[in-house]
Amino acid sequence: MATAAQAVLVESAHDVGEPPPEAGRSKERSRSQFADMWRRYRRNKLAMVGLVVVGILVLLALLQPFISPYDPYDQNLENTLSSPGGDHLMGTDALGRDLYSEMLYGLRLALVVGLATMLGSMLLGVALGAIAGFRGRFSDAVIMRTTDIFLAFPYLIGAILVVRTFGSGVTQVIIALVVLGWPTAARLMRGQMLALREAEYVEAARSIGASDWRIVVRHIMPNAIQPVFIYSFTSIGIAVVAMASLAYLGVGVPPDTPEWGRLINQGIEQVQVAGKDYLWMYPSAGICLTTLAFAFVADGLRDSLDPKLR
Amino acid sequence: MGKFVIRRLAQAVMVVIAATLLLFIGLFVLGDPFASTGDKVVPPATQEILRAKFGMDHSVPMQYLTYLGNLFTGDLGIDFDQRRPVADMLGQAVPATARLALVAIILDVLIGVVAGIIAAVWRYSFWDVLVTILTTLAIGLPTFVIGLWLRQTVSGVWIFPQVPRSFTEQAPWYTEVLLPAITLAVVDAAFIARLMRGSMLEVLRMDYIRTARAKGLGERTVIMKHAFRNSIIPVVTYVGISIGILMGGAIITETLFQYNGVGFLLYKSIQFNNNPVIMAIVTFAVLVYVLLSMIVDILYAYLDPRIRLS
Amino acid sequence: MRKQAWLRAAAGLTAAALVLTACSQKSNEGSSNNDNDKATKSAGWPETPLPDIKKGKKGGTFRFGISEPTAIDPYNAQESEGLLVTKYLFTGLITVGPEGDVHPGVATKWESNDDCTKWTFNLKTGTKFHNGEEVTSESFKRGWERVAAKDSASEVSYHLDGIKGFDEMQAGTATTLSGLDASDPAKLVVTLKDPNCEFYLRTYHPVFSPVPSTAGSPTTNTAYVEQPIGNGPFMMDGPWQHNVGIKLKRFDGYKVGHPAYLDSVEITITANGNQDEYAGYQNGTFDWARMPTPVLSQARSTYQPQGQWITRTTNGMNYLLVMVTKKPLDSAKARKALSMAINRDAIINGVFKGSQSPADSLVPPAFPDAYQKGVCAACTYNLDEAKKLAKEAGLTPGTELNFQFNVDAGHEEWTAAVKDQLETNLGLKVSLGGVQFKDMLNNEQQPGSTGIYRAAWGADYPTPGNFLEPLLSTDAIGAPADKPTVGDNRGRYSNKKFDSLLEEAKSEKEESKRVSLYQQAEKIAIGDDMALIPLWNRTQHRLANTDKFINLRMDFSENPDLYEISIK
Repeated sequence: MATAAQAVLVESAHDVGEPPPEAGRSKERSRSQFADMWRRYRRNKLAMVGLVVVGILVLLALLQPFISPYDPYDQNLENTLSSPGGDHLMGTDALGRDLYSEMLYGLRLALVVGLATMLGSMLLGVALGAIAGFRGRFSDAVIMRTTDIFLAFPYLIGAILVVRTFGSGVTQVIIALVVLGWPTAARLMRGQMLALREAEYVEAARSIGASDWRIVVRHIMPNAIQPVFIYSFTSIGIAVVAMASLAYLGVGVPPDTPEWGRLINQGIEQVQVAGKDYLWMYPSAGICLTTLAFAFVADGLRDSLDPKLR
Repeated sequence: MGKFVIRRLAQAVMVVIAATLLLFIGLFVLGDPFASTGDKVVPPATQEILRAKFGMDHSVPMQYLTYLGNLFTGDLGIDFDQRRPVADMLGQAVPATARLALVAIILDVLIGVVAGIIAAVWRYSFWDVLVTILTTLAIGLPTFVIGLWLRQTVSGVWIFPQVPRSFTEQAPWYTEVLLPAITLAVVDAAFIARLMRGSMLEVLRMDYIRTARAKGLGERTVIMKHAFRNSIIPVVTYVGISIGILMGGAIITETLFQYNGVGFLLYKSIQFNNNPVIMAIVTFAVLVYVLLSMIVDILYAYLDPRIRLS
Repeated sequence: MRKQAWLRAAAGLTAAALVLTACSQKSNEGSSNNDNDKATKSAGWPETPLPDIKKGKKGGTFRFGISEPTAIDPYNAQESEGLLVTKYLFTGLITVGPEGDVHPGVATKWESNDDCTKWTFNLKTGTKFHNGEEVTSESFKRGWERVAAKDSASEVSYHLDGIKGFDEMQAGTATTLSGLDASDPAKLVVTLKDPNCEFYLRTYHPVFSPVPSTAGSPTTNTAYVEQPIGNGPFMMDGPWQHNVGIKLKRFDGYKVGHPAYLDSVEITITANGNQDEYAGYQNGTFDWARMPTPVLSQARSTYQPQGQWITRTTNGMNYLLVMVTKKPLDSAKARKALSMAINRDAIINGVFKGSQSPADSLVPPAFPDAYQKGVCAACTYNLDEAKKLAKEAGLTPGTELNFQFNVDAGHEEWTAAVKDQLETNLGLKVSLGGVQFKDMLNNEQQPGSTGIYRAAWGADYPTPGNFLEPLLSTDAIGAPADKPTVGDNRGRYSNKKFDSLLEEAKSEKEESKRVSLYQQAEKIAIGDDMALIPLWNRTQHRLANTDKFINLRMDFSENPDLYEISIK
């Protein structure tokens, strides 16, 4: 949540001092750069594992309607809280619903929310951060102070306020997470902007009469977007954890939705009963695995894009 | 430089006012604090009396101004639930959270920095991989899962005080604070380790390190005297922000461990629509964050002439 | 080459995931082949008998946990935790046993005039407060006025509504209750605005406690609020340590009855409620504990053989509040259909592991004289009849139904089960929403609200009238049809015959006649009209340390009866 975001902020702020790479020229150069990047990425074992796992998770999520052994909402009050095994791979929950089916459904939900949140906060954050960084002065101050307001609010209050105002549901959770997530992307983008707009190639482009818009889009953006692009993968993991934490506190999706955070919440209710730990361990492992996979991919991307680490 | 500081200060004040105003309005969204006590409705006549008592029978702008005015004289009001002075309640909770934050920071800095240095210096070794895996694991698990697991397995063992225990058996504060501090420290330590590792790796590649080695300095001196000092900067930034966030109260962790800090107080206040307490705590959290953020910004501006002069 | 290895690994893992799952969805049947021919096991654990109260001996410390109360001062004590402490710090006019049986408190006898508008309480003389001051009728007058004063802004002052002079005090135009006459220190005379033959039962509530002259106003004398001086068997041993604990010690000068046996009581304030209490009992910290629902079976099998288990049905009922003036449940047939489509036993067995007992009335079995077994005929599961009635009432498949409950109170599972049953059995389209309690209350009050809401009720006074009147009388709606309700009858049930039966009961001096009037009223509201849908009785389970203590039982308010507990 907040801590992950701030770490990325600090990491990237530290990166600002690097000399910017050369201005993007022709397409052939980009293609071989891409191949280069992929080669470096493949060498990183952890990153490859992450990529494969992400791929599998996405596949499972897409195929969920077809491969789910039971309807995740289907209750069976005569077979509640049964341990893994037999008809039910991961056992059943307090309403007799098949935990494995619920896990698959929860995966699908998590990825959807994660992706939507990432897109939403990246779009909003990049746009505002670019304006803040490039324009400077007043727009910078206004936008940065707005991010301050959002970041200063204790996370829980902000989330509760948003969800209470708009009601509970998947869309509202996405809205809440985007509202809470865009400031980090904006700061990241702004930091990059600040560093790169003073670069020589920008001066060169300006001297031949290129407009601000052209400079931003064609010259600065391709370089500036890099850390944001990397962060976007981490942010998917962050969004999944955030949604689960909100569900743990009872805020978010409708109560009988098989969402991982809710499953953990329900599992924790059973925590004092012997032998029911599987109820919260499976969804926790799910969250952990998803976050890790995306984090490894992000790490791998960063290492492979960094020209110094050969 | 001076103008920058003043500008920044003015902006900080505006952020605090904007945040508190937003919160004040938001509290009305959270609902009517006097509508019910427990399961039973409060009769309208009594609601009138309650509203008059707490000054909620005036218009919203009037209430906000009155609140601000009281704030300046240090009067935080009386809470809606137990009718105690909010200042008293904070007076008990804030030092508790401060102690928790302090111990958590000490733990995560120690562990994180050491782990990060080891991973960087012995890159690609077993330790490096171990640190990478452990840190990403720690980031992947939600705080409440870590806390819960700790509470189930470790409370009552060795120096960790038993949770729950009779209140007449007060454990000394430094043992009481251990388990929640460890829970909080796990995630932060992971981030610090990664920051430290990345930062150190870069610094170790620098020319002046090569020079130091060429001069014949021992490896330990090279690392501890030269590399360490330069690579610690992002960690310092991160810790600064971390303190700010921890002071806002770690709601989930405090509740899990029966720890009477600001986070737990906030959580209960939200449930009972205890507006004066919510206002006081969020204002406090916003103030702390804004202050720290301002200090960090000023420090950066001081160090980087590009930003200072923009 | 490496690329191929990766692809193979990926393919293998995916294939494994697919193979592990069937390609077509199975239906989730579980242990039975056909739901209908196996009768659902009837739910409920048997009550444990009340212990015989033996004479105890002085000594011992009793420890248990509660969550932080709002107030322990009688002027504002409201929820069960606060009322628990207040009840043992103060003794009122009457005392009530665990089964609702009324006994003298400070008042040795009481009687009303013929039309029940004037009550005279004769008080025992020579009893004292913890600070030595004598308890007289003036002490009671002082206490009650302290509650009713506008300046005190008590949230529980409504209990005093009905005493002459109450409205004036609430408006701030009077500083005394004109209806209280304390001129004779050994007699308290109460004049009411309207007849109420059950008024004396109200005084069971701690809000009617006497206070010493040092109490003052709760807004100015906050020291008293933090450390009340009462006249009960226990006194405060130090002030209330917020969020930490409350310590009580025996008041040796207690003269209303025998002095308490325990030397002291340590009440720890827990952060996580039932979970902490159970964990605390297991690790030996507490001598009494409530338990979270999921652990009940396990706890029972561990502790019942050791004789440390208590199960009792108590003064309370769990039900579904129905908005009876709006579609789709505006006819008794529709409501009965709904009720008969809910398989209470299955839910209790599945979700509550058998720890509750299905309801068949509104007035619970905890009122043995008034309880009518089976008065709610539609509370039995009968799918065929339900479908038939639903058809007649226009409750057709596809009808939308709104169903709300309050979050953070453990209702997520059973409400989902009810939703599932209604959708499966009647084909309804149920939209289930979990909201904060205050929001749910607010939603219920709105004139346009429809559908069903999770609800529970416990009587404040030991009389069935305190179920029927606040929940179902027309007065308890408190507002016209186009305005939000202000009373507790948020379903807006209104029946003239029902109202007149209640009026009659209130003016009926003879208790058995009163009870029969209440029974007739319940028959109309629940038996005929199904004004709300009872689900399961309030059953409470406790763990009690019978190794160390005797006389362990719940009092009428489900709290440990600290007065009689003694070490072995």
